[in-house]
Amino acid sequence: MSVSEKYNSVFISVFNVEASVLGHDFTSDTVDNWDSITQLSLVTAMEDTFDIMLDPEDILNFKSYLAGKDIVAKYGVTF
Amino acid sequence: MLLQAAFIKDNSTALIDVEGNTLSYKDLFDFSKLFYSQINKRTLIFIFSENTLGSVAGYVAALETKIVPLLLNTGTEETLREALILKYQPEYFWLPESMTSEFDGEVIFKAYGYVLLKTGLNAPLLYEDLSLLLPTSGSTGSPKLVRHSYNNILANARNVGKVFEITSSDRALAMLPMYYTMGLSVITSYLYGGATVLLFNGSLTDAVFWKFLKTQQATILTGVPYSFEILSKLRFTRMDLPDLKIITQGGGKLNPTLFNEFADYATRTGKKFIATYGQTEGTARMAYLPAEFAQSKVGSIGKAIPEGRLYLVDENGEEITQADTPAEMVYSGPNVTLGYAYSGDDLCKTDERAGVLPTGDIAITDADGFFYIVGRISRFLKLYGLRIGLDDIEQLILQTFGVETVCTGTDEKMKIYITNQEMIAVITDFVIQKTGLYHQAFEVLFIPQIPRNEVGKVIYNFE
Repeated sequence: MSVSEKYNSVFISVFNVEASVLGHDFTSDTVDNWDSITQLSLVTAMEDTFDIMLDPEDILNFKSYLAGKDIVAKYGVTF
Repeated sequence: MLLQAAFIKDNSTALIDVEGNTLSYKDLFDFSKLFYSQINKRTLIFIFSENTLGSVAGYVAALETKIVPLLLNTGTEETLREALILKYQPEYFWLPESMTSEFDGEVIFKAYGYVLLKTGLNAPLLYEDLSLLLPTSGSTGSPKLVRHSYNNILANARNVGKVFEITSSDRALAMLPMYYTMGLSVITSYLYGGATVLLFNGSLTDAVFWKFLKTQQATILTGVPYSFEILSKLRFTRMDLPDLKIITQGGGKLNPTLFNEFADYATRTGKKFIATYGQTEGTARMAYLPAEFAQSKVGSIGKAIPEGRLYLVDENGEEITQADTPAEMVYSGPNVTLGYAYSGDDLCKTDERAGVLPTGDIAITDADGFFYIVGRISRFLKLYGLRIGLDDIEQLILQTFGVETVCTGTDEKMKIYITNQEMIAVITDFVIQKTGLYHQAFEVLFIPQIPRNEVGKVIYNFE
């Protein structure tokens, strides 16, 4: 699996969605069940998938599909 | 009832919201009179609640003037909402202005972003001591409510006040929703004690939460196990929060790792970590583990709160006093609620429990008389702080799809077994929609046939 596919698979599993909906408008403001529960599952799964550990500030800022890419990139994950 | 004369007189601050808006005790007192003058009688009102000024002011006003509120989540699923309205016939709604268009009633009053709607319905007869109705925390689509008395609310406020040594200089962070018994208990008991309640209506993963916690100098925060997972993940225990004195936990068992993490943090920083136990049926809190035992009695729910009593009984109802003997735990005290309501006709019912509540939990005591929950008699799970009745879920699926299921699992994950493989996806979506549960909180699985014993009873522990 490519890095992008791995990244997508986390979203697919946490939000129970198809890959086709993942894009620039997939954000905490537009996704109905993006709440503290999915947010925590999301960052925990990202950490496990890429073997990284996010800083609290990055966890709080992980609020969209796109923003998340920049965040994990800071930890050496290259797309 | 909640508002004490002394705090009204000195005009101290009662509520602060995330935007920094405030209401004083005097404001709440005046508002209560104004609110009542719109209604002018004892009747039933549904409050679609959120942790905001308007919502709390409406709740306080209703209690003060003996109007009976049912507190609901603004996000209550529509079928359940309609069922509740049909069954209980509320004469008024108090709801956020943004929800007004969802209802037909006549707008008769507005304040603090909330609207009073007259429904045109005639409320049922209300027992004179009925003060408040709450859903049974399970959002399993059941219109079953818990009936509270005025004395229940006062007893909760008074005794929680003793446990947490509440004073008027406290600033309590109310981050659990107010339609949830533990969340409401924070608001009620701190207002009774003349403290300032900090109303937070968002998610703990919002940056604004952390800013609110720090800038408003919260002295106490209350969470459910799930809140502590988030707090831990966000390195709460490494933050400098000099004003924070007490961290309390309710809503189910905290796992030992988190329990230790927060107990150690409290000891290290001179704060108190207090684990509590309770149910909606016991007006939130029933037991607590005093902070000085947080490290030596990890996982214990402690002992009964003041004025209450916890004890274990065997199958014959005889009290068990030996340590380490698992048996059903019973609570008695002035915060034991009147009973349940299943429809409007039940709102004239009197006290059905006489202060005694079998908890449905199996517990043991240790040699020092501390209680530990070790199992459950009742078939329910606590998923993310929500109480989910397993039989309710089975019924819901049976009624909607005509499909038999077996519902089991743990507080980590519920398992719904169905005999029709093709319906897994449909039933998964249905359960999410009805309960609002996170999809990873449960699993729908295929089973060739429902496991039954020779007399046809369903076997639940077949795994």
